[in-house]
Amino acid sequence: MPTFAIVILVLFSAALAGVLVVRPAITVSRAGKILAFGVLFFLPLFSLVAGMENEMQRSESTAFCLSCHIMEPYGKSLHIDDPSYLAGAHFQNHRVPADEACYTCHTNYAMFGTVKAKFGGLRHLYVYYLGKPPLPENIKLYEPFNNRECLHCHLGARSFEAGATHNADPATLPAIKANTLSCVSSGCHDSVHNVGHWGDKVKFWNGGS
Amino acid sequence: MHPGGSMERRLRISGIMVITGLLVEALCLAWSQPIAFVVLVCIGGALIGLGVLFFLYSLLSASSHPASSSGAAAGK
Repeated sequence: MPTFAIVILVLFSAALAGVLVVRPAITVSRAGKILAFGVLFFLPLFSLVAGMENEMQRSESTAFCLSCHIMEPYGKSLHIDDPSYLAGAHFQNHRVPADEACYTCHTNYAMFGTVKAKFGGLRHLYVYYLGKPPLPENIKLYEPFNNRECLHCHLGARSFEAGATHNADPATLPAIKANTLSCVSSGCHDSVHNVGHWGDKVKFWNGGS
Repeated sequence: MHPGGSMERRLRISGIMVITGLLVEALCLAWSQPIAFVVLVCIGGALIGLGVLFFLYSLLSASSHPASSSGAAAGK
């Protein structure tokens, strides 16, 4: 449900509840009782669930992640005009949905990946508002990036399975699939965001959202 | 005092909590900041939840004391 529709629903529910607050005597009639149940039970709970669902979806958007200024350099890295930068290349070429770029790669695709990501987000909020947030270049992943997140899309793709570098050594592809050789390990796709290490030569692409 | 006065007062309190919670929710939906979700759940959700629970409590207490709620919602 679009946000504006939920806001209208919420305000409509509040207006109806306002009628009950001003004139509670209308609940004497049978219709009034039904109205009271709808306005003070069903509508508020429905509005709350719809609002929370909307906020959960919004939390998956790139704009949401980048709304914390500590994330600004990471947002900027999506526009680096250099295909060797993994995050930028994926974002600019829509290999990930541009409006959910962060969430697509930084959610693990295990059973509780989404829940884990949401709890991680709550922890980020705590650190951001009540703790001591690190410098952007000092932000680290909780655990090494799992190839599973890459293979969610790339497994079975011709460019991955038949890629010359991936097949140069017969042990490489099985090692990648077993997560014993990281996709982002040194010498492979090791330029991801590289915040704090761009230097002066890096250029930025002006397109995209 | 009006016999339904107690029930009416409870309906008003419940309604005010629900309205406040809904207004907080509307503000959070319009406020595109990560903290909005926490405010929505912790303040908006709590107010709406308390309002709904208080409304249900009013219904239960009214049904257990029908004489005192003859003029309002659950008393009849």
